[in-house]
Amino acid sequence: MTRLRSIEELTALQERKRPLDKGKATIVIISSGTCGRACGSLSVIDVLKKEIKRHRLGNRVRLRITGCHGFCEQEPLMVIEPGNIFYCHIKPEDVAEIVSMTLQDGNIIERLLYEDPASGKKIVREADIPFYKVQDRVVLGQNKLVDPTDINDYIANGGYSALIKVLTSMKPEEVIEEVKKSGLRGRGGGGFPTGRKWEYCRRAEGSPKYVICNADEGDPGAYMDRSVLEGNPHAIIEGMIIGAFAIGAEYGYIYVRKEYPLAVEHSKIAMQQAEEIGLLGENILGTDFSFDIKIARGGGAFVCGESTALMASLEGKVGEPRPKDIHTTDKGFMDLPTNLNNVETWANVPSIINQGASHFASKGTSKSKGTKIFALTGQIRNTGLVEVPMGATLREIIYNIGGGSANGKRIKAVQTGGPSGGCLPEELFDLPVDFEALTEAGSMVGSGGMVVMDEGTCMVDVAKYFLKFLIDESCGKCVPCRVGLSRMLEVINDITEGRGTEEKLELLQDTAGTVSIASLCALGKTAPNPVLSTIKYFRTEYEVHIKKKRCPAGVCRELIHYSIREDKCTGCGTCLKACPHGAIAGKKKKAHKINDDKCQKCGICEEVCKFDAISIT
Amino acid sequence: MSAYVTLTINGAKVKAPEGRSVLDVALDYGICIPHLCHVRGLTPIGACRLCIVEVVKNGKSKVTTSCTLEVEEGMVILAHTEKILKARKNIAEMLVAEAPNSRAIQDVALRCGVKEVRYPFRNKDCVLCGRCVRACSEIWQSKSLGFVGRGKERHVALPFDKRPEFCKRCNACIDLCPMTITPCPGPMKKGEEYLCGLCESQLSMAEEIPDSCIDCRLGEGFSCIRKKP
Ligand SMILES: Cc1cc2nc3c(=O)[nH]c(=O)nc-3n(C[C@H](O)[C@H](O)[C@H](O)COP(=O)(O)O)c2cc1C
Ligand code: SF4
Ligand code: FES
Repeated sequence: MTRLRSIEELTALQERKRPLDKGKATIVIISSGTCGRACGSLSVIDVLKKEIKRHRLGNRVRLRITGCHGFCEQEPLMVIEPGNIFYCHIKPEDVAEIVSMTLQDGNIIERLLYEDPASGKKIVREADIPFYKVQDRVVLGQNKLVDPTDINDYIANGGYSALIKVLTSMKPEEVIEEVKKSGLRGRGGGGFPTGRKWEYCRRAEGSPKYVICNADEGDPGAYMDRSVLEGNPHAIIEGMIIGAFAIGAEYGYIYVRKEYPLAVEHSKIAMQQAEEIGLLGENILGTDFSFDIKIARGGGAFVCGESTALMASLEGKVGEPRPKDIHTTDKGFMDLPTNLNNVETWANVPSIINQGASHFASKGTSKSKGTKIFALTGQIRNTGLVEVPMGATLREIIYNIGGGSANGKRIKAVQTGGPSGGCLPEELFDLPVDFEALTEAGSMVGSGGMVVMDEGTCMVDVAKYFLKFLIDESCGKCVPCRVGLSRMLEVINDITEGRGTEEKLELLQDTAGTVSIASLCALGKTAPNPVLSTIKYFRTEYEVHIKKKRCPAGVCRELIHYSIREDKCTGCGTCLKACPHGAIAGKKKKAHKINDDKCQKCGICEEVCKFDAISIT
Repeated sequence: MSAYVTLTINGAKVKAPEGRSVLDVALDYGICIPHLCHVRGLTPIGACRLCIVEVVKNGKSKVTTSCTLEVEEGMVILAHTEKILKARKNIAEMLVAEAPNSRAIQDVALRCGVKEVRYPFRNKDCVLCGRCVRACSEIWQSKSLGFVGRGKERHVALPFDKRPEFCKRCNACIDLCPMTITPCPGPMKKGEEYLCGLCESQLSMAEEIPDSCIDCRLGEGFSCIRKKP
């Protein structure tokens, strides 16, 4: 590739690349991000390539291997254009048929279509699938359009137009003004207004200045940043170049956790290609603006996603947060002005510049604008990445996109905002996803995790689970977080093991209050959320654990009791053989019994019993 | 000559040189803000969180540690609001439950109004205040001591667990350690810990003036009447 020496040359390149896929009658889009690969997309692609060759379809068919489309549960999946045909759960054995039936003859293979679980109907077009239909995929939707390892795809789709616009017609202050007007707020958890942060950093004294992309993404179950970085790295790079121009930064870093090898690989390729054609480095597109990006790999500690810890880690120091009485926009990385934004925040920048602030601001609520990606998981039918305008209600996301409960049990809560978010009950599902609304309810938008829980979940156990995660991830520097959280766990353990008292519940709340007020960094400050929100909305569950020494959901081992119902037991002996602790006895064809002293409450008997004879109380 | 700024702490107008921390200034004026990890002259790390205060700006208040907060012109500091006192007392309660064998921490607990310890005692011999670590690396540039491990595993250690050659044997680490002075009646055995409160004789006067410095000097300031002969 030749280096572009001027903005005109990039515009010309865009023109030339635009008909990239033209002339090819058919485009086969296969999603092959980390999730797709885990489901076997690579072997599907292998066979597909061979088949296309064998049928000599190379001139007519373009195979576009892209990042994740979001509907991870249906992987490996492909979309065939024109026609918008959507095939899912594809196996390598299906490929020959796809090539001959669909690519050659234009017929649809019924078996590979998606079946809507609600109506039981097969759906042909991707756009008609309810999961996608209700979404507004401003950022995620681009993944489908580009092969992340080929800058030409991004350019052909109008990529780097925002950069052209900025370099040709905008002053740095105007860029900042535009971002401010758009109302974009940080997608990494804090929701801080992005334009304001840029402005602080631009005004700060010191040089050089830095911009950093936070791709540490340590929340268990969250992977939106990975998907965007893997699937569309140029959007982030373009966003960062624009940000650097606006702020006056010379250097950039993408801080990505080392558990994301594909994201690292794709962003490396993307940066290399951008540099080769002169979009990064000295004198970008012949202007006197220079900017360079490096990749830094994080060790994968959750706390390293926190801004000051991330910067310490970048400097090669221990990844521990420091007090933020001096902002990182004044003294960040190497004590120099540094602007840190999340992956999704950066990825939103090009479209704000291209389509204008008001277009972005037309979506969302009064204080939360644009769209946000959520990672929908838990006991829900459609798991995956979903992108909705801010202000969509939890109910819309859980039922219209997520398709409701996975197993018919009643959904009782959703945990939003990652490990330190809160659990919101079904009564509050009409709340809009909006930074203020969720925080007020005791949870948060956070980075966008959304775990749906049904009746089979014990909320005290949920609180315990997240608390344990956060204790493991606390850096241990400050007292409230290090000591306070471990004291909270002590109490929760007491409650779930039958030693709970009213006083201890009060102590739990007191401690939680102190941890959230007094901790040094946001990890500690938000860590009590799961506990406080479950006490607030599911207090009766705590009370049953404490007063009745019972776990209503049948989860807390010490508080449950296994027995065999004589009326249902046929004496088949399956459980007797299955019990690893030898706790079950009984004669053949006679009702069996569980020996309480030996029973370890592992639940295996319940799993194997075909007669529903095991009762848990 | 350094420039001065004017701020208010608990409503009192005070003057302070630029660059000084709110905690140091408060102590200079005899205002008590309990603290543990802070040592004047060493880099503040904001670890113990006892010195939290509310900073009021544009009608909004934010909680932060006064040891890490530099004074600013017109700053409004509230060090003894109900919210702060409650959290501070709870932190002190946590600390004394961690390490009851320190006169300094027992004093802090009492000063913060802890009357009862609701957590089971752990009787540790380090509270990770990091005074020794910072003294070693900052006063003597020696780095003989450092923090090792994250979270629950965090502890202070010597390189390879041996006193290194570059240790200057200055004993600053021991002098600054809040754990070296045991409670007046002597060290407490595991299982027999309690909240002292014995030096109430000294503190009774202090309870009436909760916001003035009572010169406790990290456990050295006063000792109780029942001190062992
Ligand atoms: C414990 C902790 C972990 C965090 N992890 C991440 C993360 O993985 N990715 C991220 O973008 N922000 C993370 N944040 C938020 C960052 O500190 C910071 O606010 C954010 O990256 C700023 O970018 P934004 O304004 O674009 O959101 C974390 C914060 C805390 C306290
Ligand atoms: S709040 Fe937790 S993670 Fe943050 S500095 Fe304190 S101990 Fe470390
Ligand atoms: S003295 Fe300020 S945090 Fe310890």
